[in-house]
Amino acid sequence: MQQRRILDEFTVNHELLRGNLATPKWWLPTVLGLLVVVLFGFTLMGIMFNRGLGVTGLSRPVYWGLFITTFVFWVGISHAGIMISAILRLTQAEWRRPVTRAAELLTVFSLLTALFFPLIHAGRPWRIFYWITPYDFARGIFPNARSPLVWDPFAIGTYLTGSTLFLYVALLPDLGVLRDRTTGWKRSFYTVASLGWRGNPRQWRLQTVAGILLSALMLPIFVSVHSIVSWDFAVTPAVEGWHSTVFAPYFVVGAVHSGVSAVVTMMALMRWLWGWDNYIRPEHFDALARLLIVVACAWLALTFAELIFGVYSLEAPERALREMQMFEWPWNLLFIIFFLTGFAIPVPLWFFKRVRNNIAMMFWTSILVNIGMWLERFLIIVPGLSRKQPFVFTWDSYQVSPLEWGLLLWSFAWVMMLMLLFSKFFPLIPLFETKESQVFTTDVQIGRVTMPAVIRELD
Amino acid sequence: MAASNSVLGLYDTPNAGADAMDGLKSAGFELGTFDVLTGTPYPEGAFGEHVPQHRLFRFPFFGAMVGITLAILFTAGTQLAYPVITGGKPILAVFAMLIIAYELTMLGAVVATVVGIIFESRLPNLNLGAYDTRITEGYIGVVVECEDDRLEEARGVLQTAGALEIKTA
Amino acid sequence: MATTSLITDAPDHRPSNIESTALLAGDGRTVAGTGLKRFMWLLAALSVIGFVGIVFRFINDDGRQDWGFYAATLAWMLTIFGGAPMVAIAPALAKADWVRPVARIASLGAIVTAIIALLMIPLLFKFPALTQFSEVLGDDVRRRSIWFDSPSYAPHFWNVLILLTLALVGIAMAYVMAIPDFAAIRDHGTGWKQRWGKKLARGFYGRPQQWDWLKMRIGITGALYFAMLLYTNFTFSLDFAVSLVPGWKDSLFPFYHTISTFQAGIAFTIIGVWAARRWGGMNKYVGHEQMWSLGKFMLATTLLWFYFFYSSFIVFWYGRSDSDSATIKLLVSGPYIYLFWTVFFLVFIIPWWIMIWNKVRDSVWGPPIAAFIILFGLFLDRIRIYVASWSAVPDDLELATTSILQDMPNTMWPDVFDVFIMVGLPALGLLSILLVTRLVPLVSLWEVQQSRLITKPVRFLRSHVQLVGKPD
Repeated sequence: MQQRRILDEFTVNHELLRGNLATPKWWLPTVLGLLVVVLFGFTLMGIMFNRGLGVTGLSRPVYWGLFITTFVFWVGISHAGIMISAILRLTQAEWRRPVTRAAELLTVFSLLTALFFPLIHAGRPWRIFYWITPYDFARGIFPNARSPLVWDPFAIGTYLTGSTLFLYVALLPDLGVLRDRTTGWKRSFYTVASLGWRGNPRQWRLQTVAGILLSALMLPIFVSVHSIVSWDFAVTPAVEGWHSTVFAPYFVVGAVHSGVSAVVTMMALMRWLWGWDNYIRPEHFDALARLLIVVACAWLALTFAELIFGVYSLEAPERALREMQMFEWPWNLLFIIFFLTGFAIPVPLWFFKRVRNNIAMMFWTSILVNIGMWLERFLIIVPGLSRKQPFVFTWDSYQVSPLEWGLLLWSFAWVMMLMLLFSKFFPLIPLFETKESQVFTTDVQIGRVTMPAVIRELD
Repeated sequence: MAASNSVLGLYDTPNAGADAMDGLKSAGFELGTFDVLTGTPYPEGAFGEHVPQHRLFRFPFFGAMVGITLAILFTAGTQLAYPVITGGKPILAVFAMLIIAYELTMLGAVVATVVGIIFESRLPNLNLGAYDTRITEGYIGVVVECEDDRLEEARGVLQTAGALEIKTA
Repeated sequence: MATTSLITDAPDHRPSNIESTALLAGDGRTVAGTGLKRFMWLLAALSVIGFVGIVFRFINDDGRQDWGFYAATLAWMLTIFGGAPMVAIAPALAKADWVRPVARIASLGAIVTAIIALLMIPLLFKFPALTQFSEVLGDDVRRRSIWFDSPSYAPHFWNVLILLTLALVGIAMAYVMAIPDFAAIRDHGTGWKQRWGKKLARGFYGRPQQWDWLKMRIGITGALYFAMLLYTNFTFSLDFAVSLVPGWKDSLFPFYHTISTFQAGIAFTIIGVWAARRWGGMNKYVGHEQMWSLGKFMLATTLLWFYFFYSSFIVFWYGRSDSDSATIKLLVSGPYIYLFWTVFFLVFIIPWWIMIWNKVRDSVWGPPIAAFIILFGLFLDRIRIYVASWSAVPDDLELATTSILQDMPNTMWPDVFDVFIMVGLPALGLLSILLVTRLVPLVSLWEVQQSRLITKPVRFLRSHVQLVGKPD
């Protein structure tokens, strides 16, 4: 497949800074539209703080519902960035280049969004300090470092800080480009933000080493984050269907499945909105789809293990839960939709090269995956809680209230708005990676055939 | 000896830039007093430049040490200060503490690495010296730091290699 | 500026294809020196001792707990030799060019899986049937296993069949990958090797269709092998360990087992590279690049070993139900606590500390040291798991009637026959690989030649770099 374009640096700057140096016509109306939804969401939060959690559908025994599902969902999406940036950087996959920045950005914004949900779910978010910071000496109560609910903020805090710094370091050379293309206060801003980047060999060398070193450091964090989120559930023996050892890798692989799919969705949007056809090409979708097939199959194996071990113990309550999850109304409908959208429809389609290279098909199938993955989290969290168990006095199901649906909608609008605001001030496709790719790829002639080749530095 | 002048030669092809670097070397300018500025990373040594040394790998170890110390203080200190048994776990529950210790160790390592990257890149340094905005557009800049007495010689070498423009700062 | 104009030719010091052919397929082959022959005789003697051990194990048989070390040895062999071919599949899956010279060493592990399948048969006699309590407890009472409603013979029959299938697919893959080399031996070898080369090359003359055919079959057998290896690990670890212990319910365990298979497979390949350099005269073909890249993956799987272990452990430790606590006690903190800590250091801490240093990974001595430590550590790990599982239930009735391990077994120590088995069976595995290398070159000739074709050292302006072609 030969889709590489030879572009000089001037063209790269000109095309990739299209959204920064000029404002596309659709940008302002879209941002304003999203702002309306975002403000509506904040209003809903205000109503909830004022009236109490009674306005949601949460009630005993289902205390964790849509909010926690959505929290897990957005933490899952955040696994896009490091998967693309770190793993593909370490394995020297050339096709990662145009997607790294947007994927890292998605990590940062989806984590920010994920953080909202446990906070608002606490009902009185300002009291969260009692829970994670050791300050209340007078009462003699400290945060319980043994609780998974305290592990969470540490894991997510580390991942968010690390991802933001990772994003910033890789942004330095591009900030230098923006400094050289702007005037007035913008120039001053980019001068300070780029820290005086000049592009000498030392700075480039450090940039390369930093990419590898930070990737190697971020990878173990990436794995730990969703594992720790999974332990919120897995270490609890009291809820059927939660106390499963496979949860940690199951959540991580599921997160990669949903995160990489979200990157595909985003890439299609970037290509359509900014017209970056020279940079985001069908071959990138093809490569991501191949990666997704592998990830999805691993995820299916883990799902299979999860289900088979549910039945393995031959204990009546656990079997009853599985029966309810898969065969009883309305869970059976959700389960079918989950399985069809999360795996059965998109993955077989990706086996066809024509689908992998069709951007519209990739867009829609990647959206399907995320519908499925949201439902997966819902099906893990809610049915387990809604069954009667020891120390549970009622046995009731859970109806998601309109307010909760509103806040789910808010989360999507919020992430999109943040992404669009970012795109106004910073390039979404890394310029220097694109230029580096131009330098480090070429063609090689073997006999009568010309094949793409890359340049590898010798140690 | 502080270098008092910074001279920049601007070239439109990497080959010309590499020639300028060769010229400076053969004219006897010391390694480390001249450098190449590019808008894109090239393979190391592509311009025959001085290969920079760095100590970046020390930073994460230092950061990790700080992180793990803080984590132990937080997890052990808070639980020992007000020992309350919860969930039948020991007060110093090592396997639970390990998780927070791991996260803070990694956080320390990442933060220190980023500080290290900025420090080792010799940033921030808002004074760009002799510079041209066309460098981020694909032109190659070769910059020489020299005393007044070698200024003309440096300009000459840069010119011979085919500089489009020569700037002094 | 197109990169092409910045690239110029550079001197190429790699052995020419003619030189490689003479060394790897022609008369110049150096693999079978006298030292190697002596080593193979030693392995043969040890294999005989292994069989003696099996015979005496049958004669001195006091029940299932006596077969724990035998099961552990087989599990270890499956871990190493079953895992190694995964390295060979990497070029097909991930276009990793550096793997090419070591693909052969890795793929030969598959030969041993056939031996493991045969050696498993004695173990099955010691294996409890699913329905053996039906007469006492009623027809619907079966012991816990993944064979929910299958016939009573299911685990016995299917496990052998699964392992044989794995062996068949693996050997097919190793064979297909060697066909062009057999053709080279046919054209450049002499004597019995040439005759065998002619038979095994099956009319391969390097026509474009034949290469397409070859690539397609490598891809298919590789993907099948991967799937079969996962499946084998799943059934083997559940049937021969988890389901023998009441109350051990660990959905992650099959994946833990698989990840250590990858870890051991990479370690085995690294040791193979080291041996090929040390005794096989392959210094020009394998070295720093392979050690560096394999080392990275070995480091990653070492970290994953800890991750998978800890993910299970924290769930049990935190859950603290009776069955959780009993499982931890049996496998970690009880009769095998010292063994566990030894494993923890040998499989995780020490190799991790060795392999995080760039200079060590970039050397030809560092990764083999870590690899030896890992393989030994994993042997102890398999003992920890399988000996504990096989000794957990002296009274089989418990399997069907309780969901918690009631009586914690004592630490089992190997007797002299166990030692015979633990030494003899792996020796047999190694011997079978060495016997095959008498005919098949230890470094894949055609992959070396292809690698030489699509990569070349060049100059980029003033620097020396390598140009790597990426064929589809």
